[in-house]
Amino acid sequence: MAKVAYYPGCALKERSSHLDRSARDAALGLGFELDELETWTCCGAVPPVSSERVMNLIAPSRILKDVRDSGRKELITICDFCYNTLKRANYSIRNDEVIRKRVNAFLADDDPERTYLESDDAPWVDYDGEVKVLHLLEYLRDIIGFENLPAGLKNPLKGINIAPYYGCVMLRPEKEIKLDNPENPTIIDEFTRALGAGVVSFPYRTECCGSYLSVSSPDASTRLCYRILSSARANGADALVVSCPLCFYNLDSRQEAIAEAYPDFKPMPIFYFTQLLSLALGNGPEKQGFDMHCVDVSPILEKLDTPEAAEVGE
Amino acid sequence: MSQSKGVSPPKNPPLELNREMVRGEFGLRVDELSGQKLYDCYQCGNCSSGCPLAQEMDILPSAMIRFAQLGQKDILLNSGTIWICASCFQCTVRCPKGIDIEAVMDTLRQLALEAGVDHFGPDEISPELAAEVPQPGLVGVYRKLST
Ligand code: SF4
Ligand code: SF4
Repeated sequence: MAKVAYYPGCALKERSSHLDRSARDAALGLGFELDELETWTCCGAVPPVSSERVMNLIAPSRILKDVRDSGRKELITICDFCYNTLKRANYSIRNDEVIRKRVNAFLADDDPERTYLESDDAPWVDYDGEVKVLHLLEYLRDIIGFENLPAGLKNPLKGINIAPYYGCVMLRPEKEIKLDNPENPTIIDEFTRALGAGVVSFPYRTECCGSYLSVSSPDASTRLCYRILSSARANGADALVVSCPLCFYNLDSRQEAIAEAYPDFKPMPIFYFTQLLSLALGNGPEKQGFDMHCVDVSPILEKLDTPEAAEVGE
Repeated sequence: MSQSKGVSPPKNPPLELNREMVRGEFGLRVDELSGQKLYDCYQCGNCSSGCPLAQEMDILPSAMIRFAQLGQKDILLNSGTIWICASCFQCTVRCPKGIDIEAVMDTLRQLALEAGVDHFGPDEISPELAAEVPQPGLVGVYRKLST
């Protein structure tokens, strides 16, 4: 089975482990393995913007250099923050000679300290941005092909209407990320359609959910999430599909606060795209970590007329 | 909670303009650190109209850029705007002049934090929240809002 280098990032190893697990299951169902890097650190979550903060580029660059040194050319990641950080670090290294030199000077300096690595005598080679960073969705679109998904589905997601929510850092800034059109993205729409579900477009699909403000200004995030969810509802969505752990957290766990603030609000289940894919490929709901969700997803599973879905509801 | 809670109308203090304000030390420093050409901004307001947090801000993103052009360090570094901006890059992808407004916001946050005072420190988070927010939220908030 084909193996592709995989960087899960901190959230997927712990608080968003259902995203990790459903992704691994889905990949196996499609005939490839997400092969987790042997050693990795946090990528730093937010890339440095200011030109003086080269230090914040070291962690993502080291991760990418290790992928290159292991002889691989591609790296899959799923968390939108990891994707953004790794991709932007790579962009800076590729396009800015001063940054490239400074980052490599740091990495070379640090290399002998990494005594936990199996020693090899390979000579030091600067990292020049050779690795291609791919979002799992991007891999599915460009390598597997969305058009090839339907043939392998055991349980196409018939009978439900899903609103794809893109958020911010998966698409922006456009110049560095180049995954899709930042104003009119289609990647999650096409993916969801390939799984057999109805796709609902809504005006707030690329509006920020509040990101890390859920820690420092939770009320602001609640207001943003209310706008997003009620707009999706008004356009006919039964549920939302997302790819980012922080989007998921904000949109799912804020619904209690939203319901308190806005009496007209009706809860809306949130899915990771990997859970939908894994379900459609025939893995049961018990494998999707739905017990980690705040909002009950069983009304949606019941609508899905599958044998597995009938068993849910505990 | 009403939808308007937390909204304060932008109040821009009257400024007496003079030539020295333009391309002064502070404006050029922001220019250099952010890598953005602040003086390209022609105040179209696109950044402000698309900003999902505009209604929570005391100074709109386009006004922030104008104040930066005029070297208004105190106004900028004491604004609430730099702390409520969620770094979502909506403004950045919409600026017709190619200015990365988020990079300017980030630079201003960095300059404000140079004073050594956290806007949101590690002891301000509740234990429940600390135990459940996914890591990018925690790492993100402390990288952006603390020293
Ligand atoms: S969108 Fe760009 S040009 Fe228009 S006001 Fe904002 S920064 Fe200035
Ligand atoms: S990055 Fe900040 S200023 Fe720009 S649109 Fe997002 S919240 Fe508004």
